[in-house]
Amino acid sequence: METSLDPLAKFLPQVWFFILGLFLFLYVLLDGFDLGVGILSLTSGSEERRGILMTSLGNVWDANETWLVLMGGSLFGAFPLAYATILNALYLPAVVMVVGLILRAVSFEFRENADNKLVWNITFGVGSFLAALGQGFALGSVFEGITVDADGHFAGGIFDWLTWRSVVVALTLIQAYVLVGSTYLILKTTGELQATHYKTAKLAAWTTLAGAVFITVSTPVFSEQLREHLLEPPLLYIFGIIPILGSVLVGLLLRSLYREEENTPIIWTFMLFALSFIGLGFVIFPQIIPPSVTIYEAAAAPSSLVFMLTFIGFLIPILLFYNIYNYIVFRGKIADENYGEV
Amino acid sequence: MASFFSDPVALSRMQFAMTAIFHMLWPVLTTGMAIYLIVIEGLWLKTRNIDYYHHARFWSKLYVLNFGIGVATGLPMAFQFGLNWAPFSESVGDFFGTVLGFEGTMAFMLEASFLGIMLFGWNRVPPPIHYLATILVAFGANLSTFWILSANSWLQTPAGGIFVDGKFVVQDYFKAIANPFMVNSFLHMFFATFETSLFVIGGISAWFLINKRNPNLFSKSLKVALATLLVVAPLQVFIGHLSAEQVYHYQPTKLAAMEAQWETVPAEARADWSLLALPNDKAEKNDFEIKVPGALSYLLELKPKLTEPVLGLKEWAPEDRPHMVGLVYYSFRTMIAIGMFLAALAVFTAFQWLRGNLVESEITNNKWLLRAWIFSAPLGYIAVEAGWIVRCVGRQPWIVYGELRTVESASNLPPGEILFSFSGLMLMYSVLFVAMLFFGSRIIRKGPNVDLPEPTVQLPRLVKAQHEPDSRPAEAQQ
Repeated sequence: METSLDPLAKFLPQVWFFILGLFLFLYVLLDGFDLGVGILSLTSGSEERRGILMTSLGNVWDANETWLVLMGGSLFGAFPLAYATILNALYLPAVVMVVGLILRAVSFEFRENADNKLVWNITFGVGSFLAALGQGFALGSVFEGITVDADGHFAGGIFDWLTWRSVVVALTLIQAYVLVGSTYLILKTTGELQATHYKTAKLAAWTTLAGAVFITVSTPVFSEQLREHLLEPPLLYIFGIIPILGSVLVGLLLRSLYREEENTPIIWTFMLFALSFIGLGFVIFPQIIPPSVTIYEAAAAPSSLVFMLTFIGFLIPILLFYNIYNYIVFRGKIADENYGEV
Repeated sequence: MASFFSDPVALSRMQFAMTAIFHMLWPVLTTGMAIYLIVIEGLWLKTRNIDYYHHARFWSKLYVLNFGIGVATGLPMAFQFGLNWAPFSESVGDFFGTVLGFEGTMAFMLEASFLGIMLFGWNRVPPPIHYLATILVAFGANLSTFWILSANSWLQTPAGGIFVDGKFVVQDYFKAIANPFMVNSFLHMFFATFETSLFVIGGISAWFLINKRNPNLFSKSLKVALATLLVVAPLQVFIGHLSAEQVYHYQPTKLAAMEAQWETVPAEARADWSLLALPNDKAEKNDFEIKVPGALSYLLELKPKLTEPVLGLKEWAPEDRPHMVGLVYYSFRTMIAIGMFLAALAVFTAFQWLRGNLVESEITNNKWLLRAWIFSAPLGYIAVEAGWIVRCVGRQPWIVYGELRTVESASNLPPGEILFSFSGLMLMYSVLFVAMLFFGSRIIRKGPNVDLPEPTVQLPRLVKAQHEPDSRPAEAQQ
């Protein structure tokens, strides 16, 4: 089928695969630390610390979460079949994620105005955890594959996403979020609070590493489909390089954590996220509903992809620009809960 | 009832209706109030009267309370098309998904990103940048309204392409975006959010005035709201009228349901407007009815007799026309009654203003007028929800009017799965609704912080940056 496609009909879905990957990557990176901080807040015994943790996100959480909305909308427009089939297959994890995201989002303002702040601290933490869990199972299904019929419609069962390996993937993703959340807090806090998060970062770095190694090694063993895909030449070389680069980055991350550097741990973590994401991209490409539906089969009409690209494409640099500006305005350490008044 | 719980289409519809109705409550206030915040902050920058600054800070507290829950409850909306309406998503994704993608990238991200600066940036960026952030938040919010209404209007009056084997093939994107309903629907919703927000602001201001709390401050916000409403409220009634006329031309089944009109009124005949009725779906007639003779002819064509017929519901087979006629009929009348009442209240209050009854020494004594404003605060929400019920229940049995049926558009999910998400969301939304009312009223009761100093920190810095060379010798002398 692929040979009959003209170059444009091939190129456009690839561009959109890349753009959606970018949106998803930014979401995972940014809401990743957001959710990670939320999960970490569950381990906090002091009201003041929980307050600072939530304050550190006050001005960024909504923009971070918006990358998911962008991803959802763009997936709907660019690959309608994938949007429909994937969400059908992942109905329960998606609902759990949405419920989690709602819980944590409302907690910010409710806590601000509540007398009993603990209730909303818990909903914040639990919501963050549920959101991460739902996303973890969604990621797991990439490795498990989604059962579809000849038309690409979902044809599996409602608990297909739940296997022991998807549990490992979900737990690993949660660890990764805790890691990036910890490095964000190292950047934004001082003193005792910062010291705590050096500890959590170190712990999460090791547990994430263990999970990542397990997933990398086990995938070719358990998935016949991916084994063939991975152990053939162009990908074989890439999968030689990625673990090497990954090991270097993990080394740099651990060194920066043990040396108690402030700014570098988050950079190395971001780079590790990027590397994993690139690896994941190579595993999936050119599929969009693994293991059987390709981006070419699921894509909207070329005119649709061009139209979307015209308007969304040129906006991407602008989106990045003002998101970065937002971080620049609020750079520096968090002194106390009154972020806005200082 | 048993069949309802085992019918994935009915369950998905109920879940969509519930999540949409609940979601709608929050963006209504944020999109409308964002414009008000531009006005208030502009007045502050222009007059440097600190009252306006305190206003901006106070109202933005309510704003952010609504914004958070608006973002959160928007997520199920963004994903539900795929979750529960997979065949629909596949069929119309080329256009519908594109527009939702536009909404996210062009509008929503703008609002979400600059909100941080608008709320927490008072002392971090100079006033002009802050003002720009406020403007961009409002622009983003209202651009969202535009895209969502364009997408929804397309469901009402599909244009710009053809359906081939049940899949929509776009031929002209701009025609699809600017479909026949788009302009009026967008304007109607734009003014709906603005009017609702202004009545919320007016109502809360009236509550402060009646309790003689910060009367100086809140007579200002009441007057700003009133002055704006004097234009907005009557204009909204007029745009609503234009929208109804469009329904008459493009969606005859919906008009028939809105009017509970079972029998066709032929051309050249007098059409009566039903004031009160008891529609009976099974018997295909109204069990009871009070009519205003000839009023419908005037409403639709401004003539005593119609040039085009008003088709009755019985013109269509039961499976080709909307059901729950009573719901559509009464929702429509509720919306109209509220729209009229609010416009009348704005005009009446303006007369009181002209008579001098709203000067600061007098205003707190107008107890009944202030009570009417407090009573009006929630009315806009009811009108908005009622309007959406008319729009979307009245569109049935179609999801895309005349092209794609709702029953063919639902995902074939196990009913238990939908029941799980439906009841989970319902439970959570009920708790959130109570919590919202509780915290909203707490913010209002607490009132504005009038001791808050102006963010002067940035002003000298800005001036200093411009006059840097001059200030150096002074510093050197110290």
